[in-house]
Amino acid sequence: MSPRADLRALASSAAYAWRLMTGAAAPLTRGDRRQRDALRLLWFLLLGALGAVALHLAIHTGLRRVTTADFGVTNQVVAGRLDAEIVISGSSRALTHYDSTLIQKTTGRKTFNLGLNGTQTDVQVAYLKTYLRKNAKPALVIHNLDPSAFAVSHEIFDPVKLMPYLDEPEIYAVVLRVYPHAWKWRYFPLYGYAVEDLRFTWLAGARTFLGSQPPESRVLGYQARHTPWTGDFDKFKASHPEGVKLDLNPQGVKDLAEITEVCRRHGVPLLFVYSPEYDGMQALSSNRAELFARFAEISAKAGVEIWDYSSSFICSQRDLFYNSQHLNVTGATMFSQDLARRLAQSRWLSGGATKQSP
Amino acid sequence: MLFNSLTFALFFPAFCALYFLAPRQVRMPLLLAASCGFYMYFIPAYILILFVTIVIDYVAGIYIERVSGPARKAWLVGSIVSTCAVLFVFKYLNFFTENLAAVSHLLGWDIKDPRWNIILPIGLSFHTFQSLSYVIEVYRGHHKAEKDFVIYSTYVMFFPQLVAGPIERPQGLLDQFRVHHAFEWERVASGLRRMAWGFFKKVVIADRLALYVNDVYGAPQNFNGLQLSLATFFFAYQIYCDFSGYSDIAVGSARVLGFRLMENFNTPYYSRSISEFWRRWHISLSSWFRDYLYDPLVEKFRSSAGWAFAILITFGVSGLWHGAAWTYVVWGLLNGVYLLAGGLTEEPRNRVYRALGIADDSVLRTTIRIMATFGLTCVGWVVFRATSMGDVGYILANFWRNWDFGRIGTEQFLLRQMPAAIAGILVLETVQLVHRRVNLSHQLLRLPALPRWAFYLAWAYGMVLFGVFRNEQFIYFQF
Repeated sequence: MSPRADLRALASSAAYAWRLMTGAAAPLTRGDRRQRDALRLLWFLLLGALGAVALHLAIHTGLRRVTTADFGVTNQVVAGRLDAEIVISGSSRALTHYDSTLIQKTTGRKTFNLGLNGTQTDVQVAYLKTYLRKNAKPALVIHNLDPSAFAVSHEIFDPVKLMPYLDEPEIYAVVLRVYPHAWKWRYFPLYGYAVEDLRFTWLAGARTFLGSQPPESRVLGYQARHTPWTGDFDKFKASHPEGVKLDLNPQGVKDLAEITEVCRRHGVPLLFVYSPEYDGMQALSSNRAELFARFAEISAKAGVEIWDYSSSFICSQRDLFYNSQHLNVTGATMFSQDLARRLAQSRWLSGGATKQSP
Repeated sequence: MLFNSLTFALFFPAFCALYFLAPRQVRMPLLLAASCGFYMYFIPAYILILFVTIVIDYVAGIYIERVSGPARKAWLVGSIVSTCAVLFVFKYLNFFTENLAAVSHLLGWDIKDPRWNIILPIGLSFHTFQSLSYVIEVYRGHHKAEKDFVIYSTYVMFFPQLVAGPIERPQGLLDQFRVHHAFEWERVASGLRRMAWGFFKKVVIADRLALYVNDVYGAPQNFNGLQLSLATFFFAYQIYCDFSGYSDIAVGSARVLGFRLMENFNTPYYSRSISEFWRRWHISLSSWFRDYLYDPLVEKFRSSAGWAFAILITFGVSGLWHGAAWTYVVWGLLNGVYLLAGGLTEEPRNRVYRALGIADDSVLRTTIRIMATFGLTCVGWVVFRATSMGDVGYILANFWRNWDFGRIGTEQFLLRQMPAAIAGILVLETVQLVHRRVNLSHQLLRLPALPRWAFYLAWAYGMVLFGVFRNEQFIYFQF
């Protein structure tokens, strides 16, 4: 048979299958009807599955193409496009306290803030490992310490922010540790977005896929918070008259120690900084001394310096914070200026500034 | 097993394939086994409680039919008492001992509350009531006792309606287990469409609104009047979409298998009075109480005071059926009071409307009646949802205070979720309104295959992406 005849036969079979499926090939015998129903079901399921895969890919690709805000930062990290000399790692306190532009201006060193909102040390280690594996080696890593530095993640705040990066081994390992069912996020199309995406982050992916970027909220990784004191701490204090006990989980201690180990392996100097915390909250923490004793132990063992801002004048100025843990933009500017001045004179950077990035 | 879980998404198609491929004589045992599996997915050991209830009522049914005179009544009473005893132990024992301890404390006696560590078996009140209706109907001679233990067990345990109804009567469901249900594409597709509508109500509307409601009702003192009002409005839709969504999935999945279940909801928020609301809300339970409690009480007392007593008793018990807490009892009684007040003020209200020149069937009057009924229902929902009577007082007193439009969102429910929540409610209302005039299923079926399938797939993806899939239980499971 000629190729043309083959094509005609194929088209005719497909047309018959379609007529059968849509009921146009009447009259049908009982056997035909069964065949039609089975075909219909199969087609529907197949189309459904293909559509789900296509949608998943569109969202995934879109989120990986974001160049702004949080996804923009992580996309740069996993693409290995960063060559910062000072890298800041940590949680939302790192994210909102370290003004990279200001530090860069004062020290003359390229600075980038990797702060990851709503994370504990275990996730921060994974993120830092990914950074160091994929990007240029920095001259200094500053890891910001938190009162919850030794807490272990029982959940990740808005885990969708890590959903497009489950191919990264370090990120996947920690996500899997927190969410043992996270393998379904990776292998079932749309599943992760369906079960975890309460904030419709997938829409940002779809929009970017169609060519529109989300608004920028981070400058060199830093996110300024123009928020006045919210009053949440006052309610928190009233509901905890007996004070609060900070979590000192042994796994959390190991995670923080792992940061020192990771930096040592990559030959990158590390500095721990405990950025300002509102002094009302400091007084409320009953085992704060114990927390700092553990910090001291880890830093002494690894030979890492700690710069503790717990007694900085900033800590007593309520108008520099928007809650007990987070500085607002005014507070962050003051802290960053002071830190940058100290950094500029430090042993790690005083060897001479490299060319300032634009 | 939850309907809104990946497990059910795998279980249901697999079971359907097995069910339709199985020979006729194997289908009932297969359905029973699947129902047992479905139930045991929650707490396996609790199947024994269900088994005890089934055996008691199965045997009682046969003896009620077989014997006559006082023995017949004794079998009925014995069956009711033992079935209710199971319900009492698992659902009300802690409530009872807690209140007994409180009363004894007031009287100066020192009885300690023992606090039994009992977990309420899921859906216990539903299958208890379904079992009770069976023995009562056999006693009344409305239905023959079922001799086939497998069929009777499947009737009580039928998985689509096992844990949250509709509470069926034997006349409605039992005989369907004797009929062979062949695979029919149109019926299966219609069942799947009904399930899809139920899933939409549950995962897109109810579970999204639950994020807001749970935050606000969890600590009402932390929220302003606007948030309290919005949370109450949202709860009205949450509980409706949660429960009617469950019923849609139950009716739809039963239809896929070839069974017809009774309708449990009929757009209750379009009711023009509280009595109409109760004819359109949780119909299977309302009609259960009407047939087995209210009508016998009215029959017994035959006076205006007797009527009022019957209403208050029925609604009080109905409240207690919903949960072992005073808030539920107060909620039930409040609805009883609404009904009594509605009946007593009907004539004066009609006179006022006539004096104002507003006709009975005018749009204005209908709108006022619908809004008033919805408002009263919402006040009832505050009592139903709040965790204590103190919270009820706080919420009702602060509805109108401190409306801060700059603070609407909550920790779980950021403002960006609001458009999805509102859009969900609008879709629901639009579909319900249109469906009153036009049968949307028929309209959909008239579309050519390609756009119809595109619509189905878009609906499915919309549910996946706009839904909340956090294995949230259905509210009525706890009852």
